[in-house]
Amino acid sequence: MRSRKSAPPASSPSRPAPEAGWGRLGLIAWLAGVLLAPGALLASEIEGRVNLPPIAVPSERMPTQRYELPPRTGSPAPAPKTRTGLPTPAPKSGVAYTSDGTAMPNPRVAVVYLEGEFPLPAGAPRNERIEQKDLAFIPSFLAIQVGTKVEFPNLDDFYHNIFSNNQAKRFDLGRYRKDEIPPPQLFEKPGHVILRCDIHANMRALIVVVPSPYFVVTDKEGRFRLTGVPPGKYKLKVWKDSNTTLEREVEIPAAGTLSIDFP
Amino acid sequence: MQPPGNTPASSGRKVRGFAALLAAFGLAGGIPALQAQAFLDAIDGALSTETMQGQVRVQASGTLELEGYRFSQPSPGLLFTDGRSLLNPRLSVYLDAELGRRLYAFAQIRADRGFDPSSDPVRLRLDEYALRTTPTERGGFTAQVGRFGTVVGSWVPRHGAWANPFITAPLPYEALTGIWDTAAVRSPRQLLSWAHVPPAQVVRAEQEEKTLRVPILWGPSYATGLAVAGRLGKIDVAAEWKNSSLSSDPGVWDDLPRRWRDGTIGGRIGYRPGAAWNFGFSASQGPYLRASAEKTVRAGTKRDDYRQLVLGHDISFAWHRWQVWSEVFVARFGIPGVGSADTYSGYVEASYRFGPRFSFAGRLNRQTYNKIPDGSGGEAAWGRSTWRFDLAPSYRMSAHTQLKLQHSFQRETNAPTPYSQTTALQMTVRF
Repeated sequence: MRSRKSAPPASSPSRPAPEAGWGRLGLIAWLAGVLLAPGALLASEIEGRVNLPPIAVPSERMPTQRYELPPRTGSPAPAPKTRTGLPTPAPKSGVAYTSDGTAMPNPRVAVVYLEGEFPLPAGAPRNERIEQKDLAFIPSFLAIQVGTKVEFPNLDDFYHNIFSNNQAKRFDLGRYRKDEIPPPQLFEKPGHVILRCDIHANMRALIVVVPSPYFVVTDKEGRFRLTGVPPGKYKLKVWKDSNTTLEREVEIPAAGTLSIDFP
Repeated sequence: MQPPGNTPASSGRKVRGFAALLAAFGLAGGIPALQAQAFLDAIDGALSTETMQGQVRVQASGTLELEGYRFSQPSPGLLFTDGRSLLNPRLSVYLDAELGRRLYAFAQIRADRGFDPSSDPVRLRLDEYALRTTPTERGGFTAQVGRFGTVVGSWVPRHGAWANPFITAPLPYEALTGIWDTAAVRSPRQLLSWAHVPPAQVVRAEQEEKTLRVPILWGPSYATGLAVAGRLGKIDVAAEWKNSSLSSDPGVWDDLPRRWRDGTIGGRIGYRPGAAWNFGFSASQGPYLRASAEKTVRAGTKRDDYRQLVLGHDISFAWHRWQVWSEVFVARFGIPGVGSADTYSGYVEASYRFGPRFSFAGRLNRQTYNKIPDGSGGEAAWGRSTWRFDLAPSYRMSAHTQLKLQHSFQRETNAPTPYSQTTALQMTVRF
């Protein structure tokens, strides 16, 4: 872990120390910036990178069509062409598995979150939404805070039946039409939840429920930036897959950016 | 007279054996289910492959089933054994392949103790295979050739162990009538005798004749042939030409008829006003005697004069945690010189899911027969009027493992045992 107070990103509310050539004007400007942004003294950010080794993402499962014509989905958007000229369809399943059955998001990302005692933001977590559209969950990966409600509207003209058997959230929505709104589901326990459709076995999605309002999803290269973090001592955790959660003790400074990489 | 092996001592042993089997199923399913979930999820992904940027995709999937049955003699429906209990392991492997957007092929390979559970040793079979083409880019119309389930009725799409709330088929798909496909009926009295009306005095004789008799539809009827299917808005249309009738035994599903007329034509028109409802009308007609029965037909007639006509109506409904299905069939077996042997059969089935794990299903089945001259100046129904009520709770231990129990109460008029019960247990692992 290395503290890097001297070079925060330009978007940070805190300002860099004035360089020697700036003179008095620069000093005034720096002081004004600090004084006009008092929150910057109480909130910092953490940035870094999580090592996400590439996995062999399995091929998409095909919808069952042995005894019935597959349901007609909306006009599918043309897939982007590759150099071979053949289309590459976007992944329909949001879950990939390693050979030992470890589940992870597809495409692969991680969830970085802070654990500890800190003042919780006022109000309940905002509601989230995962749609079922064209035989896929959209989005197929979601990270949420404990206490979040998630809606699962069906935008297809045929039935879906979402369910989960995971301990973090066990539920079965039943079958809802396009014009019905199933009751939102409250996620009260931290953990991972794999969503499936009982009618279309090829549909999968993944929800990671974290016990913290301070969390962020990395990009596909594993880079992350967690902003607005209150200063103090915490555990910084990284959910990489269903079997791997990394953690580090961190001390967040009153202002500035903490840079941490996870192997 | 009791069937062999049915002494009180052996019955007690079998009851204890069945109880032990129930316990073994529970342990086999319950304990490793959660550990197996991750493993089976991993297998799930490993069984698909694609090349040419997804233009060619191949996928394997299937179920591993272990079924145990306990019943009285004669064994009910399409269970073939002299005993009072039966254990049937089954491995079903499905292969699906997409070759671009226009070609699709599938096959089903099974290893079990017969297409219908029996006392035979485990054997490997190729049950289904088909090549399907979708001529238009937008889909909506397909044509296929091969050996595959019938388009008649609405049970075939959910007859697999995972999707079917029950272990046995509905009555129209498994109740054996007095019609044989190996020999033509020569007189009303003979038909009544084959239907065991009045009941045979020796139960074993009735059991032994089971392999000769046919139902209205023999399970999913994986006969060989051609089919076309299409969707026009809310209307589904499907038609097929198959090598053998809906009632035909699995033993003839591979045989190719010498003429088109020797085959069976069938079809279904469906109407889906929305996601919840599905209404369908089906029909099928074709000769029901196998080729080897040609020499048994009445003088002056031909084998294809003995035709089976089936008319069917199906309704299904689904809403939230409820699913309801119903089908009724009228089947007529034409018998030159004797007349028409008609039978009416149907069922109503409902399933309720209490959550991701537990669900409960009930099914009421009914089959009746018309009356024919009994040869003594009177008339008699040419089969036993039957009521059957099936109850089936099921428990899914994970997204890949399911334990299902079924208990059936049956009442048959003029049967050696008018009331009979069947208990079945099925453990399914899906991959």
